[in-house]
Amino acid sequence: MPGVASDSGDGRSEVSVSSNGALVPISTEARNSIVVYPLHHGLEPPIARLAISWSRGNSLRVSVFRPPSVEGSGESEGQVGGKVVEVKLSDGDPEISDAQWRRIAYGSVSPFALLQSRRSAISSLSWGSASTSPYHLDWWEYVMEYSKDISSLLSGPKLPSNPIIEDSKTIFKKGEEPTSLKAAWELMELFYADKQSQAWLPERLVDWLADYDSLFSSTLATTHSKLVDFQNVLVNLQVIEDNPKYWEVMSSALAVGWLDIVVKMLRLHGSYQLDQLSNREIENGLVEAVAVLVSKMPRLRPESAAGQLGDCLKSKPDFIKAWEKWRSQITKLDCSAFWIQCNNHQTREGLKNMLQIMLGNTESLCTATCNWIELFISHFLYIRPFTMGVDSMYILAQKCIQLKPVSSAHRLTGLMIGILGENTEVVLAECSREYGPWMVAHAIELLTAGSEHAEILLHEERHNLGGISIVELHRLVYAQVLSSHALTWQIAPIYLTSCMKQGMGLLEILLYKQPVQHNEMLLKNIEICRLYDLYHVSSNIMKVAGVYHWKHGRIGSGVFWLQQAQDAIRLHKIAQQLFDSVGKSISDESFKQWEGLIELLGSESKTAGGLEFLRKYRDFKKSLQRVPGEKSIDAAREAVQSLILLMKNPSTPQRFWLPLLYDSLKLLNWQDQDHPLLNVSETNLLLNKLQELSLARLRPDFIEPSLPPNALSSVRLALATNLGRAMLDE
Amino acid sequence: MAVTALSERPEIHRLPQYKYVDAVRWLPASSAFDRFAALALFDSDSGACSIEIHSFQPNPVTLSPHSSWVSPSRVFSLKTSQFRQKPIIVASTFAGSLHFLFSDPADASLESEVSVPENPLHSGTISCIDLMDGGVECVTVGEDGRINLVAIGDSNVTPRRVFDSSGLVSYTAAKWASPMEFATGGYGFSLQWWDQRKPGGPASQFKGNWPQKMTPGIVHSIDIHPSRKHTCLAGGPLGTVFAWDLRWQQQPIILSGGGAGAGNTSIQSISESEVWEVLYDPYVKHSTTSSRILPSMICSEDGILAVLEQGGDPIELLAEPCAINSFDIDRHYPSDVICSLEWEAIAILSRQ
Amino acid sequence: MAEPLLTLDNGTTCSSWNFSGTRLATGSAIGTLSIFDFRDPASSSSLRCTFKSGVHDGNIVKVVWVPPEYGDAVACILADGTVSLWEEVAEDSQPLQWKMCKSFGSSSSKVLDVQFGMSLTSLKMVAACSDGHVRVHELLDPLELKNWQLQAEFQNVIESGSAFGKALCLSASISWKPHNGQCQESSFVLGFNSNTSELNSSKVWEFDQAHQRWLPVAELARPEGKGDQVYAVAWAPNIGRPHETIAVATHKGLAIWHIGMNPDPDGRLPVERVALLSGHEGEVWQMEWDMSGMTLATTGHDGMVRLWQSNLNGVWHQQAAFESKS
Repeated sequence: MPGVASDSGDGRSEVSVSSNGALVPISTEARNSIVVYPLHHGLEPPIARLAISWSRGNSLRVSVFRPPSVEGSGESEGQVGGKVVEVKLSDGDPEISDAQWRRIAYGSVSPFALLQSRRSAISSLSWGSASTSPYHLDWWEYVMEYSKDISSLLSGPKLPSNPIIEDSKTIFKKGEEPTSLKAAWELMELFYADKQSQAWLPERLVDWLADYDSLFSSTLATTHSKLVDFQNVLVNLQVIEDNPKYWEVMSSALAVGWLDIVVKMLRLHGSYQLDQLSNREIENGLVEAVAVLVSKMPRLRPESAAGQLGDCLKSKPDFIKAWEKWRSQITKLDCSAFWIQCNNHQTREGLKNMLQIMLGNTESLCTATCNWIELFISHFLYIRPFTMGVDSMYILAQKCIQLKPVSSAHRLTGLMIGILGENTEVVLAECSREYGPWMVAHAIELLTAGSEHAEILLHEERHNLGGISIVELHRLVYAQVLSSHALTWQIAPIYLTSCMKQGMGLLEILLYKQPVQHNEMLLKNIEICRLYDLYHVSSNIMKVAGVYHWKHGRIGSGVFWLQQAQDAIRLHKIAQQLFDSVGKSISDESFKQWEGLIELLGSESKTAGGLEFLRKYRDFKKSLQRVPGEKSIDAAREAVQSLILLMKNPSTPQRFWLPLLYDSLKLLNWQDQDHPLLNVSETNLLLNKLQELSLARLRPDFIEPSLPPNALSSVRLALATNLGRAMLDE
Repeated sequence: MAVTALSERPEIHRLPQYKYVDAVRWLPASSAFDRFAALALFDSDSGACSIEIHSFQPNPVTLSPHSSWVSPSRVFSLKTSQFRQKPIIVASTFAGSLHFLFSDPADASLESEVSVPENPLHSGTISCIDLMDGGVECVTVGEDGRINLVAIGDSNVTPRRVFDSSGLVSYTAAKWASPMEFATGGYGFSLQWWDQRKPGGPASQFKGNWPQKMTPGIVHSIDIHPSRKHTCLAGGPLGTVFAWDLRWQQQPIILSGGGAGAGNTSIQSISESEVWEVLYDPYVKHSTTSSRILPSMICSEDGILAVLEQGGDPIELLAEPCAINSFDIDRHYPSDVICSLEWEAIAILSRQ
Repeated sequence: MAEPLLTLDNGTTCSSWNFSGTRLATGSAIGTLSIFDFRDPASSSSLRCTFKSGVHDGNIVKVVWVPPEYGDAVACILADGTVSLWEEVAEDSQPLQWKMCKSFGSSSSKVLDVQFGMSLTSLKMVAACSDGHVRVHELLDPLELKNWQLQAEFQNVIESGSAFGKALCLSASISWKPHNGQCQESSFVLGFNSNTSELNSSKVWEFDQAHQRWLPVAELARPEGKGDQVYAVAWAPNIGRPHETIAVATHKGLAIWHIGMNPDPDGRLPVERVALLSGHEGEVWQMEWDMSGMTLATTGHDGMVRLWQSNLNGVWHQQAAFESKS
């Protein structure tokens, strides 16, 4: 996802520039000339003002305002006053659609997380040793497993096999559409992670080119495109060996080591046809001899892919022996007298040229190959078939570029040069520029596995970066890209929590910025907070949600979330407001509405901010309602207990004291039996409260309950009477 | 945690959709050869929302788009049933509208649609809907505290308000128990039982005595088995799945979670996070005479799809790296389960 | 790559997105306040107008959202120098609506900019006025945006003794230290564009909890640039860097300042100007840091949007620019 529409310019010079590193993937071609991108908004000038705002991650929203047109000035009515546009600063790889990118992003989470947990498991095992490096005997095997998992995600769509051309004439077929991203990944894998095949690196490169040669066709001539062209004319050819293309394509395929294609094409040679065999014996013999030599070519590799030709040899001495023998066979054939007897000029020259290629004739190879990479690969096959160090590969690559200069570089070649040049910064810069933050954040695991030098370079904490390492920086950048999309932000925490220094800080901001309106999304948020012990963040999120619901008239939801956030201050304020409406409505028959809320409040007092009073009040009211007749003495006693509890409880608001007592008049005036319901101390408690209330009434902020004017006096009278009776009773 | 793995692993197929799957349901099957699923999709690239009917082929497993309907807003709750021998799909949206889609019984193509616009039913999102068996009536509940019943006719629907808590209580789940009764769920593990013969308020309320340490949460889903309508099965946060037996008002029967980690060793928690959906699982054999809670299936935010049985170890069917937001068990082929994954994909399980 | 989200009415003068980027508030030259919402969550299209009403006679020059902990509310700054606070509420089972809950204003001076910041206990609103005064208002009840009290009033000067009576300020810019969830003392940075050089330079103000007063703890200007008129300031989110970062725009260009964490014995924080960049010719209208504090976006009189970053060597540079095109 490199920045905005980057145009791979002219190659090397800019690599060194961007190796200085862009933090966020916005490509710049050179430091001095800033790239100016157009911001299309569709408004006619003049523009009066712009306003900017960062949205999720790194998308920027820009408001563009036109100057207000004066009314009646003749300008068209209802003229547009401005536009709001969103600019995504991390546009994806143009080869890959947004939806496909998201699939890759989702799929890379598990391999990445597994690798990180293995890393921390290893470093916790070896904490005694001073080194923080995860070097471990098997570490690269873990990295390889990771790399294979990632690589499998990058596969393009499977291509249907093409049945139009009959099989004998189908000279090549491909299982899937290659992508540049996968080619880049595999290139890095084989140089950095795959320690097992280091010994067969040149052969791995041959295979790599066989898989991805077609990608270069966009900017360079390739053997692949030659093959495709030839395949298209093949059906119409009568005498194939008379066509110079036939020989040209074949020698190109041979030069890059596509032996099976070469042999298949050789067998299309006209001399194989039954009616020709007799009069073209010698010619056919030569063709077959070359085909045999091609298919017997010794290869220094453990095994070949299924159906591929060549003799695979694992050990170098065996290989050298076989190689010498094979070469002597070629030389022998080259000097053979049969050539003179072969009277087909095309065949003779074509086959001879192929022998030259196999003998490693530089000129022939140079002619046969289509671009410098092919030439480079052909060197491994025919000139220097033994293992070669990366440094000499680099020199060779430079030589090949000189021999076959390029007018426009391909995005893969920059990466390859960086890898061969063993320049970690260039490799990172190329990954970032051409493939974007996903690539950098994930490929860095391959790079650090590549060498101790790279490991140190990338994990070193840098003052210039605010104390973080390059690895962490790129994870932060990638996490920010993930945050830009509403569906992928949830996987950003995986990457942020793998950042030692600044990941949690960014995660907190990211979580805080998520909308709270919908419970499902809110709960997904809170779940992330729970996973990473970010309780202060979740409590803040729940507070925001609580206020949102409360302000939007959803009292129950508001109280619930504020309770979860343990926001005693706001709950207390809410309690005061609710008591106002309770005072008005709860004595009516609208109890059922409050029922649910009161249940929600639960019995836990600590988080309810005084709201638990509502529950006690409800219980009291209920017990009072159960005292309809004069007979239910038990119910009445229960009601009295509720009343006393309520009056004793400090959380009972003062303004409810008088209404509570007034509601209880029938308890205070209980005449059914000789004994009053309240004893002396209970009556005294209530009288004290009444006394306190009369003092409070003098204060200016006192809220007078809406009760009949004689309420106070009738309560006072009832209490006094009750006190008298209770005294007598004791 | 001793989670029993199935002796025979179910066959699992993950099918990327490249669109967010808001909800997924099987359509009632009309024949063994034509099976369909309804997917509520949200294309984040274009902002387009739709309900797509996909035809399902079990061998090899494929889902192919069959017909689709453009929704004005993202689908929040999706249910399917049968109405006069026709498959019917009901969807409520984030914006608060309600849509009834009638499809052809033979080929599941969409025949007609009836909608109720945004404001008359609820203010804001309709958090849950449920269709009565036979599809004659649909209950809708919302965060605004309203409960509506929508009667379905041939070409029209008639809504009526059952209750309005004026925001004092919010409802997040609903499920029919009988043509007269349904249950709702909400914040703080609250469950309400409604009986249309007793209007004006809930006929019964669940007041669970929950362990002190436990955080009460939101009920996301309720299921009621037709043979045992006195038991509500509910799912909530921290892997909590519990049953409320109307005959035993006070005590929740905890099947998973519910502070299970804190000292309670007898009940395991299959998941650590939100249980988004619970359904009774007709596939698991169960003695009909047993008084135990019938086996059920759940899906969760931490990517678990599992079968729960009272008194037995939970059986994990799927453990995904992302959330499983909804699932459905095919009523006619209960071995087949379809689920929607957070990472823009569908998973289909076939149990042998 | 620029995806259109919305077309604005004629006369729209300002816009502002809320904390989560899901709601947009706009103000117009004839005093109209509009609110736009996305129809679906996670959607980045289909913005629709959910409120539109003339709320004032005058020109709304700026809209500022209140932090979400205090609900959905905006402050509208008017051309006449008053500020009104509007809140979305559903009261007494009435449907949801936007209501004015408070108006701030004084006859002696105009409010040029306001910004909201959260302290441990309450919401604070800093208002920068045309007479060079800074007023800090404090919310008394976290659920009522009606009840405010003036907590402090001071001038944007380092030396507390001096006072400048006849200051005339054209514009002001305030930026709170972004809160990162942790409890912390509140700070903000403020700069003026005025005729009084002492007031102009950006100063970092910190609330001294012990003495309940605001103290200037840093001045973001080199000796030769103290009188430079300040167009805009922006305090970067800090995700774990050992220093704070503040961007200050003056006519000399865009300065990036690092502010140390540990005060010297006088209570001043060490400051270092790490970059002075040129780009916008003339006035800078607005500066915004991204969520990580790694990229600064600016816009100004040249009609360009510019992005600034520091490279691996810590060198700040312009990373890209966008030119407004029809």
